Amino acid sequence: MRTTTSIIAALSFAALSAAPAIAQETIKLGAPLALTGPLADAGAKSKQGYDICVSAINDKGGVDVGGKKMKLELVEYDYQSETNRAVQIVQRLINVDKVPFLLSPYGSGDTKATAVVAERYGVPMVAAAAATKSVFDQKFQNLFGVLFPNDMITEAEVAYYKKHVPSVKRVAVLALNSLFPKAIAGEMVKSATGAGLDVVFNTTYSPDTSDFSNVLTQIKGLNPDWIYATGYTQDLILIRRQMADLGLDVKVLTMTAGPSYPEFKDNVKSLAENVTTNSWWHQNANYSDSYLFGSSLKYNEAFNAKFKRDATYLEAAATAACETLALAIEEAKSTSADAVRKVLHEKTFNTFYGPIQYGKLGQNEVNAALVMQIQNDKLLVLAPENLKQGELQIGVPKKK
Amino acid sequence: MISQYIVNGLLTGGLYACLAVGFSLVWGVLNVVNMLHGSMVVLGAYFCLYGVQQLGLPLYAVAPVACLILFVFGYAIQRGLLNRVITQPILITLTLTFGLDLIVNNLIIHVFSATPQSLVTNFGTVEFAGVRVPVVRVGGMLVAVILTLVLYWLLRHSKIGRAIIAVRMDRHAAALMGIRIPHIYALTFGIGAFMAGAAGCAMALIYPVTPMMSGVFLGKAFVICVLGGLGSVPGAIIGGLVLGVVEGLGTLTLGQQWATSVGFIMMMAVIVLFPTGIMGKKGYE
Repeated sequence: MRTTTSIIAALSFAALSAAPAIAQETIKLGAPLALTGPLADAGAKSKQGYDICVSAINDKGGVDVGGKKMKLELVEYDYQSETNRAVQIVQRLINVDKVPFLLSPYGSGDTKATAVVAERYGVPMVAAAAATKSVFDQKFQNLFGVLFPNDMITEAEVAYYKKHVPSVKRVAVLALNSLFPKAIAGEMVKSATGAGLDVVFNTTYSPDTSDFSNVLTQIKGLNPDWIYATGYTQDLILIRRQMADLGLDVKVLTMTAGPSYPEFKDNVKSLAENVTTNSWWHQNANYSDSYLFGSSLKYNEAFNAKFKRDATYLEAAATAACETLALAIEEAKSTSADAVRKVLHEKTFNTFYGPIQYGKLGQNEVNAALVMQIQNDKLLVLAPENLKQGELQIGVPKKK
Repeated sequence: MISQYIVNGLLTGGLYACLAVGFSLVWGVLNVVNMLHGSMVVLGAYFCLYGVQQLGLPLYAVAPVACLILFVFGYAIQRGLLNRVITQPILITLTLTFGLDLIVNNLIIHVFSATPQSLVTNFGTVEFAGVRVPVVRVGGMLVAVILTLVLYWLLRHSKIGRAIIAVRMDRHAAALMGIRIPHIYALTFGIGAFMAGAAGCAMALIYPVTPMMSGVFLGKAFVICVLGGLGSVPGAIIGGLVLGVVEGLGTLTLGQQWATSVGFIMMMAVIVLFPTGIMGKKGYE
């Protein structure tokens, strides 16, 4: 009996002693994820992006830290789409889980709130889904964003439509009252006004809006040429359907960013035709990547094999956020926050997502804005010219 | 133009009525603020989606089954859980249904995912005097209003309905008359869940369905319930229609961003000025 007890005690001691040794071999990436609540869909997409990055890097042996291979470990918690909870989780990730690096929660608002905590503790945080400039103009040293600023997108869109549909003069803008949609709508108004277009309608809607027929009736009365709507995908689906119900017809209908996701088409069917959108990334851009996947197309193939659908810019940005952290660690030859932070600020990362240069402010400065349109059930790139897959189709179907 | 706003409001209001009637009944009869109601509506919508899209069944066959499943679910919840704490202060039942809502909503996300899904229909629109009316919305509204009226009739004229009203008026006196109170409670909650299922099927025709809609639906039901009067079926119809039209006029006058706030402001005004609501009776506020 005593012998058995001794063996168990010895084994337990050995197991406990071994645990820290195993833990030291991994690099923990803290990830607050919106897996439930209003952002659950976007949160699940971000998780897929992170997961494919972690598994791809681990499959090739891990991150090379000065000759020593260390595997990545994603430490994730669901913050239930609540900003306060996201802040608490980031505190937990830093203080309890002792993660040396963070991936940000979804969206500009939650990123901005949690970045304060990361900055306080000096933990580098890479944001995969925050494009609003006001998130990055706080002079934080530990916040890095993969998505380039909103105004690069709206400037590209206005320039494109002004050139290809010169008869577009009157623009109506409708945005969800949330940090990112409001910000990109604001940039849209600036870009349109700057280009001499007449913004005839510009308003926001609250997140619990369940009917758009009234605001669309208002817009219809103003007879715009271009409607620019931005919000949750489910809102954009309802807006598109109710536009058809009301017989609201325009030359150009742009929605950010719902049409980038396949569920938009699935939910509106033929009404998706000719809806335009924009994107920070598309696999057809086909950037090469010598570290992971090989290229944008190969990334999409790997993603498709794992999740049975194409990647959108959201999953790609999540993967790129994780990849740039790994590249920075390799370049720094260290997992020290100071060394990695320095590399993140200084280096240009050539990834499947395109060149990423965080620069001084931390937000990617490389403009690769895409103008896109759904045609014959496919999302095609209209601009820039070197990636063009089709010509702009003017007008959207009036009926389902 | 104004006629289009009013029609928009009435069409939305009809759906709101169906959404709120079950919530109102449960609150009025059981004195339970059912925080689970929004998730039950969403559950009804997903059952309809699943039956039509995955099983290939017609909606008119799927919808009654979805409602019946919700009825059984509601009956079981009340009988097995809520009846145990029904005599406790309202905060206890509210907390319990809040917890159940979290569980059910997360299970919905787990099973159906959070990606929006729709029953895409093509019934077209009709136009008269410059007012466009989507047929699917008229259909959804009519089904909702008819079901609500049927419920009203049943409560007034059936034996079970009279028992529910008797329990609502005086639980102790009803018990002395031989009415099985726990059964009537469970039946009432089941009917509330049935109506939530019906509202969910109507919503699935019109809205892209996501689990996150439950919070919006619960908020609407709450406002309508207070506007119309607790436990009042006609009150739910009137409250729903009033809310739909007021939100429309709020958009027109104050802008879309204030449309939902207008409903809540109206609710506060009703609480202060007419605590019984538009159709409610004194003693049930």
